[in-house]
Amino acid sequence: MFEEASEVLENMLKWSFPLSLVLFLVLVCPLRAEAAHEFSVYRMQQYDLQGQTYGSRNAILNTEARTVDAEVLSRRCVMVRLADFSYEKYQKALRQSAGAVVIILPQNMSTMPQDIVQQFMELEPELLATETIVPVYFALEDEELLSIYTQTQISSSSQGSSSAAEVLLHTATANGFQMVTSGAQSKAVSDWAITSLEGRLTGAGGEDLPTIVLVAHYDSFGVAPWLSYGADSNGSGVAVLLELARLFSRLYSYKRTHAGYNLLFFLSGGGKFNYQGTKRWLEDNLDHTDSSLLQDNVAFVLCLDTLGNSDNLHLHVSKPPKEGSPQHALLRELETVAAHQHPDLKFSMVHKKINLADDTLAWEHERFGIRRLPAFTLSHLESHRSPARHSIMDMRPHVDLTKLSRNTKVIAEALARVIYNLTEKGVGGDLQIFTEQMQVQEDQLASLVDWLTAQPRAAQLLDKDSSIVNTLEYYLSRYLKDVKRHLVRADKRDPEFVFYDQLKQTMNAYRVKPAIFDLLLAVCIASYLGVLYLAVQNFGLLYGFLRRVTAPRVKQH
Amino acid sequence: MTLFHFGNCFSLAYFPYFITYKCSGLSEYNAFWRCVQAGATYLFVQLCKMLFLATFFPTWEGGAGVYDFVGEFMKATVDLADLLGLHLVMSRNAGKGEYKIMVAAMGWATAELIMSRCIPLWVGARGIEFDWKYIQMSFDSNISLVHYIAMAAVVWMFTRYDLPKSFRLPVTILLGLCVYKGFLMELFVHVFLLGSWTALLVKAVLTGAISLCSLFLFVTLVHSN
Repeated sequence: MFEEASEVLENMLKWSFPLSLVLFLVLVCPLRAEAAHEFSVYRMQQYDLQGQTYGSRNAILNTEARTVDAEVLSRRCVMVRLADFSYEKYQKALRQSAGAVVIILPQNMSTMPQDIVQQFMELEPELLATETIVPVYFALEDEELLSIYTQTQISSSSQGSSSAAEVLLHTATANGFQMVTSGAQSKAVSDWAITSLEGRLTGAGGEDLPTIVLVAHYDSFGVAPWLSYGADSNGSGVAVLLELARLFSRLYSYKRTHAGYNLLFFLSGGGKFNYQGTKRWLEDNLDHTDSSLLQDNVAFVLCLDTLGNSDNLHLHVSKPPKEGSPQHALLRELETVAAHQHPDLKFSMVHKKINLADDTLAWEHERFGIRRLPAFTLSHLESHRSPARHSIMDMRPHVDLTKLSRNTKVIAEALARVIYNLTEKGVGGDLQIFTEQMQVQEDQLASLVDWLTAQPRAAQLLDKDSSIVNTLEYYLSRYLKDVKRHLVRADKRDPEFVFYDQLKQTMNAYRVKPAIFDLLLAVCIASYLGVLYLAVQNFGLLYGFLRRVTAPRVKQH
Repeated sequence: MTLFHFGNCFSLAYFPYFITYKCSGLSEYNAFWRCVQAGATYLFVQLCKMLFLATFFPTWEGGAGVYDFVGEFMKATVDLADLLGLHLVMSRNAGKGEYKIMVAAMGWATAELIMSRCIPLWVGARGIEFDWKYIQMSFDSNISLVHYIAMAAVVWMFTRYDLPKSFRLPVTILLGLCVYKGFLMELFVHVFLLGSWTALLVKAVLTGAISLCSLFLFVTLVHSN
């Protein structure tokens, strides 16, 4: 048969060269199989800050899945649900040189009990501090992912317990999952520009007016950049700043209420990365320009950081304000307003010296303090180390709108009392300026916070063309004059910050069978073919049988 | 070991054909070239059928879950062209009845196997993802082989001039069953909501029944003279 086959094929090949070319292309083309499930995964932070590396160094993944209670974890992808996650398990996975870790978060975080959320929030900085070459991913749970997880759990946990025959049968037939990411290895992003925005309201009455600077950083931080929505920290600060811009621009538009103070509003980027935006802005304004509002007469700098919740309000200072200074005036006015108009609010001053030996600065006002500008930060958090400032759990439900609008009102009233010098003029603490048409609009704050928390605002995701930066610029230019952008790029030779890419990937989960299964199948097919061969060989038997069955009928005729 | 899996499916699909070719004695008659010709006729008939279907049958505009019985029935009727093709192949081959049937059926079934199963197996079974459907596809090709042998036998019997009157009806019924087998299978799957393995089993049973009946008639016809 092979001789004639080769002859025939030779004849065919002569005129079927195109066919063989097509065949060759089909054989060579890369394989693109359909996956059991495809889902988005978000990688843990990876960045360098002032030479110190943080986070997960690796992005590629092509390993089998296991859950954390399996015995053998090396070179496997460990899948953990948030409810079962703990630092010990994470350490265990790393010690056994796992291939990757995937943490599954629920779609709706509010279904998680508070203690688990709190525990995770406290773990986030520790996760980032341990530099690891293992890729760590976060995925949002859906039905298929949950079924994949439960199947993997069943197969992982049964490995150590049953008899040899059971184990053999189980490994031969079980469904395993292979997790593969499609992207490339992570590398540093070159020339990333962090954008900051400034705008001003010029005071009435000529030159040399004192300046008040209001600052808020608009970026957010969490263990995974694509999941950091930063509702309270610092979405609330940005919302307060924008609302104050609106209110004061309204006041300044009437001649009678045009005060004798310049108001400078600054939305800084890179705030969570040691306030890079502010640092460079200060350098440019104080060192590189001849005249700037910051060089002359700065009354004080008020930084807004995390104001969306709780009934506490703290004014963080690095040096207690001296009597008679504008800072002291603001402190006094804040106390007055809080005491008279909002007795439920507990206001206090927190004094913390700047510690230059720390890796990162505590609050934003410390940047100004280093350059000898009087500054303080207003926040409802008591300590800069609070986990709420760097957590992916900080989402829209963390912001309480009534408290946010109350805080906005307190700040606005206090500022107004300072710039119009109301206490000197004998105006009592009960007088409310921002009422009726000038009132703090809660709807405005609500829509601002909703918009800010609708997408992640990590500094690595917002380049100068991003929609958030453009929208903020547009919003500021509606109310303020001279709205300018300010870009920060890392220094080439000694970069203060380096960001890495590949932060969001698509992960495919393929259903795989173990190798023994293929062997088992081969044995079964071989036996089937053997039976078939025997059947065909002995086909004559069936034929003869049928002949005998039909023959008697014929014989009767 | 996904290439191994591909090897498994490939051997499950192709070896029965190889076994049948070897053991039916076709190799002694130098029938390879004739089988290839039968395969070429298969290609030609399929092309004509596709052109006909594309030209005259509109696409089904109905909802996703509703099964267009009438439309599918009409489409299955076009499969009568298969019978014509088989008849054409067999009439061009001189020889005994069994020889003609086997040559036509082997060539036809092999061509169908190469055309419709080769590429899905190559692309699908080689991938990382495992799915039972490739094994099922290979089993299906085995069943198709038996089906085409039975169909060729029935067509041969239908065209015999010395077919007794009493056989006309059973032969016609079998012929109809052969052509509409695909349609009947889809009907069963939709109405009874069969799983894939159950559908395969039903298909095997149906083909087995048809082939047994045709074998019975064949034996009676050949040995009654």
